Amino acid sequence: MKPKSSVNRPPTPDVVENLPEREPTFQELINIKFIETGEKERLMELLRERLVDCGWKDEMKALCRAFVKKKGRDNVTVDELVHVITPKGRASVPDSVKAELLQRIRTFLVSAAL
Amino acid sequence: MKIIKRIQKPLLKLMSVPNEENLSSQSQLSSHFFLDLLDSIIVDVASECHRIAKLGLDANLEEEDEELKLSAQARVRMADPGNSNETNGKYVVDIFGQTHPSVANEIFECMNCSRSIMAGKFAPHLEKCMGKGRKARLKVTRSSSGAQNRNSRGSSVSTYSNHSSNNSSVNRLTNGNPSFAGEEHSNGASQP
Repeated sequence: MKPKSSVNRPPTPDVVENLPEREPTFQELINIKFIETGEKERLMELLRERLVDCGWKDEMKALCRAFVKKKGRDNVTVDELVHVITPKGRASVPDSVKAELLQRIRTFLVSAAL
Repeated sequence: MKIIKRIQKPLLKLMSVPNEENLSSQSQLSSHFFLDLLDSIIVDVASECHRIAKLGLDANLEEEDEELKLSAQARVRMADPGNSNETNGKYVVDIFGQTHPSVANEIFECMNCSRSIMAGKFAPHLEKCMGKGRKARLKVTRSSSGAQNRNSRGSSVSTYSNHSSNNSSVNRLTNGNPSFAGEEHSNGASQP
C-alpha cells in the first residue's frame, strides 16, 4: 500500500549508523531519566488534560478546520497543520497551566539530583 | 545506574546553588522539557485534525453551527413580546415560525393489516386493528377453530379464572359488558 503523502514519517534509523561515538549531552541524559521514570508520560497526560479543560485544544481544532476549509481537504498535510497551529499554540497556553507544569518539572529535576 | 551517576553531581549543583547562572540554566532546562511536551501535544492535535479532515468526519460540523445559530435566533424570537405565542386562529406558530396541522397527516402502512393509515389516526386504528374493540375480537375468533370457540364460551373451567363460578358473571363484574364474556376467553386474553 502506497504511504499517504500527507503524513510525513521520518525514516527508521539504520542500526549500522547508531555507533556510540558521540557522548550524550547532559540534557539528553536527563531526558532519558525523564522518560524512564515515567514522569514524562505523566506530565504529558497532565498537560493534555489542562489544555482540554481550558479550551486550548478546541481553539487549535478550530484553527485546523479553518485551514482545511481554505486549502481544501485533499491538499492538507500533517506538517502543514503543525506549522499552522504551533505559533498560536505555544503562545496561548494559559499562564497557570504553564506555571504548574514548570513547577512539576523542577520538582522532577531536584528529585533526579538526589 | 550509570546514567544516574553521570548526571547526579552536575544536576545537584545546578538545582541547589541558586546563583544567577544556575537559575537561568534551571529555567532554560525546565522550559526545554515543557516545550518538548507541548510540541508533542501539538503534533497529536494536528494529526487528529488531519485524520478527521481526510475521513470527512467533520461533515456535520457546519450543520451543527447552523443549528446553534437557528436556536439562538429562535430564543430571541421567543423573548420578543410582540409575537403572539397563543393559538392564532386555527394554527399554532412554533419557535421557528412554522405551523403544523393539528392532526399529523403523513401516510404510511399499518404493520398489522397493511392498510394505508394517516399518522394522526394511527392510535385509534390500532385499537380496532389489534385487539381492544369488539370487531377485532370477532376477527380473531372467526379465524380460530370452531371447537375452540365452543369449549371456551361460558365454560366454568378456565386457565385465567381461579374459581369455578360462572365465567360470564365474573366477566360481567370486571368489565360490565356481558357480550364480551365468551369472546374474551376464546382467544385467551384477560381484560383488567
